[in-house]
Amino acid sequence: MEHIAGHKPALTWIVRICVTILVVLWLIPTVGLLVSSFRDRDDISASPWWQAPFPAEQTFATRIAGDAVQQADGYLLTGDIHDLPEANGAGRITAFGVSRSAPTGIAAGDTTDLPKGGTLTVHPDGSFEMLTPEAPDAKGQRLYFAAEVPPEFTTANYESVLYANGMAQAFINTFTVTIPATIIPILIAAFAAYALAWMEFPGRGLIIAGIVGLLVVPLQLALVPLLRLHNDIGIGQSFVGIWLAHTGFGLPLAIYLLRNYMAGLPKDIIEGAKVDGATDFQIFTRIILPLSFPALASFAIFQFLWTWNDLLVAKVFLPSDSESWVMTRKIADDLLGSRGGDWGILATAAFVSIAVPIAVFFLMQRYLVRGLLAGSVK
Amino acid sequence: MKKVLFAGVAASAMVSGSAYAQHLMFKPGEGDFHWDSYQAFADANDLSGQTVTITGPWTGNEKERVEAVFDYFEAATGATVEYSGSDSFEQDIVISAEAGSAPNIAVFPQPGLAADMAKRGLLTPLPEGTAAWVKDNFAAGQSWVDLGTYADKDGNDQLFGMFYRADLKSLVWYVPEAFEEAGYEIPKSMEELKALTEQIVADGGTPWCIGLGSGAATGWPATDWVEDLMLRTQPASVYDQWVKNEIPFNDPAVIGAINEFGWFAKGEGFADGGPEGVASTDFRDSPTGLFALPPKCYMHRQASFIPAFFPEGTKVGEDVDFFYFPSYADKDLGNPVLGAGTLFAITKPSDATNVLLDFMKLPIAHEAWMAQGGFLTAHAGVNTALYNTDSERAMGEILQGATTFRFDGSDLMPGEIGAGAFWTGMVDYTTGKSAEDVTAAIQARWNEIK
Repeated sequence: MEHIAGHKPALTWIVRICVTILVVLWLIPTVGLLVSSFRDRDDISASPWWQAPFPAEQTFATRIAGDAVQQADGYLLTGDIHDLPEANGAGRITAFGVSRSAPTGIAAGDTTDLPKGGTLTVHPDGSFEMLTPEAPDAKGQRLYFAAEVPPEFTTANYESVLYANGMAQAFINTFTVTIPATIIPILIAAFAAYALAWMEFPGRGLIIAGIVGLLVVPLQLALVPLLRLHNDIGIGQSFVGIWLAHTGFGLPLAIYLLRNYMAGLPKDIIEGAKVDGATDFQIFTRIILPLSFPALASFAIFQFLWTWNDLLVAKVFLPSDSESWVMTRKIADDLLGSRGGDWGILATAAFVSIAVPIAVFFLMQRYLVRGLLAGSVK
Repeated sequence: MKKVLFAGVAASAMVSGSAYAQHLMFKPGEGDFHWDSYQAFADANDLSGQTVTITGPWTGNEKERVEAVFDYFEAATGATVEYSGSDSFEQDIVISAEAGSAPNIAVFPQPGLAADMAKRGLLTPLPEGTAAWVKDNFAAGQSWVDLGTYADKDGNDQLFGMFYRADLKSLVWYVPEAFEEAGYEIPKSMEELKALTEQIVADGGTPWCIGLGSGAATGWPATDWVEDLMLRTQPASVYDQWVKNEIPFNDPAVIGAINEFGWFAKGEGFADGGPEGVASTDFRDSPTGLFALPPKCYMHRQASFIPAFFPEGTKVGEDVDFFYFPSYADKDLGNPVLGAGTLFAITKPSDATNVLLDFMKLPIAHEAWMAQGGFLTAHAGVNTALYNTDSERAMGEILQGATTFRFDGSDLMPGEIGAGAFWTGMVDYTTGKSAEDVTAAIQARWNEIK
């Protein structure tokens, strides 16, 4: 086995290592997004996502107040820091301080002088003794302390995205847009591709060249004229309108992809069918369609993914009331808040909205791999 | 008296066949709202079965708040208001207006785009008499009329926009407790503010948090600084000339204001992270430095909307407070105020739309949002006691008591400059270029588009 030509174990390992490194690099942003989707807004701005799994040292601000016991040398107040207000989640105390500019200046276990007289000792376990010459006032003594905080993850982002008002409606709307917007262009493109691949008629080459040319036209150019046309013929902003728009925007790629695939099918079969007296329609439905299934499926995936993720076309061609919002619009205009500061929600929404495309992708990926080669081998 | 009013409103709501009366956030007749004028409005108008469509930049909880205001219009007239918010409002409104599917009313977040659309004939002038009404009923009324007046397709000046909701920009945010512990006083003049800045550095702290980052709009917070300092170093007339480019952008007056900003942003140890940190910090993250322990900074100059980005649970007035970005004591320029605001403009006229604009003139339309919080108005006829918090009331009073009110200059300049060259120029300046070079480049760009 080791001596088979072209088989070099060292090289294989280098390739494997390189691929692994590339895959890991490629996944980093997604992992960051996933981690962020389980953190709340304040945590996200406090520390980077790669520090999220580790206990962090956090500084707290609280006040010591309560009833002090009068003693010979002053008033003694004892207690546990963890019982004080705003000390939620604090673990072992590492340091403390009594001024904002040096909140962690004194190591836990040491004693410090208070600005207004008296002393304060804080132990690592959180217990403290404060001895003051006069009874502490109701407002209390400011205390800052640093403590270890266990890593904290929350599913609150997922709850607010999944249970948002109108999310179910938006989910259904997205399906209402994507399913017809995937099926209609495939139907039209399959017929067109067959005609362009196998039927002889004058100007065929020009039409193919025109379709290839259309691939490079940005769809943004067509937004205003197309919407104006829809308004003139009475469709207006509606689901029918967005199906037509997605169909139009998807057709050039669909026809190009399917034509190249169909043109590569063996000529003998089709000529044989013709000799046997089959019509073009029979050839198309009986022979070409079943053979083109991988190409049809791969285009369906492309078109489905693109219409699923689309925000721009949905904003332009759908009515703007919240009953017809698709998921992308619901996320961008409703959940993210007025000024887009909620990174946690954004990350979560990204994961929720890619769930369906990922499912579709894994179900159909074997066709995608085959279909990507469509037209590449003659 | 109140009972009678309540009964009247309820009756008219029932007559107009609306179920919304039950959903009203503040019950008609209760509280110190201006119910009389609302009642009269409800009696005078019946729009049953009609619909007014509105699009605007307010999304999320701001959308909920403005919809609560429109509920009052629906209850009073029986009409239906369909409001939709979009975070890409500026692009959406142009597409839908060009394609002929515009809503009745568009709510513009800044006047530049409204002026542009008015020039292309996509807006309808407001009903006659609106200009006079704004002038008489808004604090500093004439300046609000000027801000809503643009040239139409034929070049005639007409009133296209009525302002509803203002933002106050001349504010410095600070943590009272940090000031108290360090023994700092709130500065009453720019000289004192500069002295305090130096004092904080001498005490080993960092005085300012400044963040210019804002995605594609990076740089805008610095333009606010420059505009505020322009109003504090030059008379308002020079500011107006600058905005209209009647004095060149590289005039010594402008360079002076930019260097004033540089004093704060580029001074050794004055801003958290140094000039590089200023240019790269996101404006949404920069205020969190105030709350860090130990404080990363003591002061943050930003508009009235910024509390939305404070850490959760921060109470304005208690945990954090603001003071007026002071003017120079030795320059006799009064107390200028820099602000911004959203304006209502008609994109598809209808009778119901005009009635809705009449409704927006009523004090109740402003009070209903004031009481929900996050809203300032220049309407002089509202009951300021209804502001949701003391701090908002204080801001509202700054707005109404301004000796000079000027709108955010970069919003008034052509988009190429005010939303482009000026932003990037300020980033260049912060990271090292001289004010002379930056302003000369901006002026060259302005000459190109003239």
